[in-house]
Amino acid sequence: MKAREAVGLLITIVALALFLYELFYVNLTRGGIGVKGQVTTDAILISASFLLLLLGPWLWLGEVPVAVRKFIEARTGRKIEEVKR
Amino acid sequence: MISVYAVLIALIVLVIYIAAYMLHGKALLERRVVKADPSRLTPAWEKFDGVDYVPANKYVLYGHHFASIAGAGPIIGPATALAWGWLLPLIWVLFGNIFIGAVHDYTTIMASVRYGGVSVMTVSENVMGRKARYIFLAYVYFALVLVLAAFLSVASSTFAVLAPTAATVAIVYMPLALLFGILVYKVGLSVKKATLIALVLTVLALIYSLYAPTYLTYEGWIVVLSLYSILAAALPVWYLLQPRDYLNAYLLWSFVALAVIAPFFLIPTLTVTGPAVRSLVATGEVIGAVGAPSNWSIAWFWPTVPLVIACGALSGFHSLVGSGTTSKQLSNELDALFIGYGGMLTEGAVSSLAVILPAALVWDFAKAAAALGVSTDLIYKAGINLTATPTILEFAGAARFYTAYGFAQALAWSRVVGVEAFPSLYKGFYTFAAWALTAFVLTTLDTCNRLARFAWTEFFDWLKPRAPGAYKVICNRWVASIIPVLLGALMAYPKLPDPAYPTRVIYAYSLVWPAFAGTNQLLAALALLTTTLWVYAILKVRGGPAMLMLVPALFLWVTVTAALIIWLVLIVPYLPALYISTAGVIVAISVALDFALIALFVRGLLLARKAT
Repeated sequence: MKAREAVGLLITIVALALFLYELFYVNLTRGGIGVKGQVTTDAILISASFLLLLLGPWLWLGEVPVAVRKFIEARTGRKIEEVKR
Repeated sequence: MISVYAVLIALIVLVIYIAAYMLHGKALLERRVVKADPSRLTPAWEKFDGVDYVPANKYVLYGHHFASIAGAGPIIGPATALAWGWLLPLIWVLFGNIFIGAVHDYTTIMASVRYGGVSVMTVSENVMGRKARYIFLAYVYFALVLVLAAFLSVASSTFAVLAPTAATVAIVYMPLALLFGILVYKVGLSVKKATLIALVLTVLALIYSLYAPTYLTYEGWIVVLSLYSILAAALPVWYLLQPRDYLNAYLLWSFVALAVIAPFFLIPTLTVTGPAVRSLVATGEVIGAVGAPSNWSIAWFWPTVPLVIACGALSGFHSLVGSGTTSKQLSNELDALFIGYGGMLTEGAVSSLAVILPAALVWDFAKAAAALGVSTDLIYKAGINLTATPTILEFAGAARFYTAYGFAQALAWSRVVGVEAFPSLYKGFYTFAAWALTAFVLTTLDTCNRLARFAWTEFFDWLKPRAPGAYKVICNRWVASIIPVLLGALMAYPKLPDPAYPTRVIYAYSLVWPAFAGTNQLLAALALLTTTLWVYAILKVRGGPAMLMLVPALFLWVTVTAALIIWLVLIVPYLPALYISTAGVIVAISVALDFALIALFVRGLLLARKAT
């Protein structure tokens, strides 16, 4: 596993844990996430985990799915280079 | 007063759309004008890069295109336009859909595909010269910044104030869409199975979210959604955009289908309770005025309607999506009609059937409820105070739409499950409507930012051979994604006290909306003029089919230019300094660029005529 993928996996796990904690534990015990009209830790945590959940799997799983790349190469007859991040 | 049955309106609208698709779209545009050819390899195959150029399934791409074009425009605009009554906005939506919107959507996709997936601005270079391209690019960039400002404000105010439960659905829905993409592309699960899993989880998320509000301030949501826009716009399309938009199409269809089912099957005997025409002139408030002009009778239906109804009737933003992200993912030329023309008509159906029709039905809450045996007590229990808000006109913008949609659906379904369920049905459908709107808005936010990145990169292409290092930095996808969002967020962030109601505030979108809508509609005229010239000069189409594109394009250009001048002269001087220096200046520059482009269009047309 490359360093970037490892970081992506770590971000995904942490973000998912925070996300589920806020969604199920915090909501079920307090009847909502955050306090109306205020910026609270819970609101920051669920917002941050939401954003990190978009970023983490992308770093972890890579840019172009192999299946897609092979399909395109077969249809166009050209070799596709991996796009650099 | 003649009783107008809602079912009759719905039927007329559906028949018009079906006839337009078959006769105007398929027989005329696809076969006689563009001559679509399934054997041509599209740019998605020819230029595949795994980030922006990726061939997509017809229905997946329809979902993306539809979800991207259907932002807050087809909802907030028609809801605001009810100030003129329900009939005039409906006529404008149908006219705009068929003769302008669907045409520019389809032809910009096809022109872009024929030029290798380039934007409509680059297409303009081929028919109007190099200057046109840069003027067009600058215009588009400014228009996109206004879209970002308006939509950041709409979504943030909904999440913070109107429906915190919709915020929860939205933030749960994104990872679910991502999961769908991973299941299909990485795990190799079939689209059918992955769709089923994602849809079941989405429904569960929606139900759970009704009991799980997420609270954050308006300003807090502006920051979160700005970060979301930057992130989502820089990620590869297969990863978030395609799966999310594919699933969004189901949401959109359910949303429209429910709106149609209600008058057809559940409340066919209900007649509209709102006035067909209230007035041909509304107060300045309708076109974003604050202070003295908000009470002046200056919002003439013609020409100011495009400042209010944007994407629901037609939209320049669509041409950017069509020639920006859609054309780069189109797998087959024959898919374009369904995606472009069909997508526009579906969006029109959102405006006509899911916004205007429910509002016309329940305009007078007590009257509509009484016709179906729902008591005023039940309406109070649902949270509507009939003394303070007897009609939908007492609600503003987004709230007007959520209330009308929720009320109409609750009336319809309470006939099935019993009138005592009215309050809970109303709350459920209100949240559903809020979620639907914000789902469209979030999709539009990141697509808009992606398009701004494309425009930015194309604008600086002259730098590439001269200073490759500088070009690489300026056009880096993260740098290019951050700049437009920052500019949009700057305009979306402030809230102003409402002079008419001291306890209320005015969110930025109310002020920015006419600027966004006007530049957007003018962009539609410019895009249609560009593709008309492409059809005339390159495809050599003459006579009726060419005129059927040219005449509506010129009519729209005159209408919107006049409306924007009215807004600049009568409204802008009274706006707060921030909006004079941002939205006001952007619109003033846009109108100047617009005149430069029309001059280049006329020159291009004359040259094309001379060449034949």
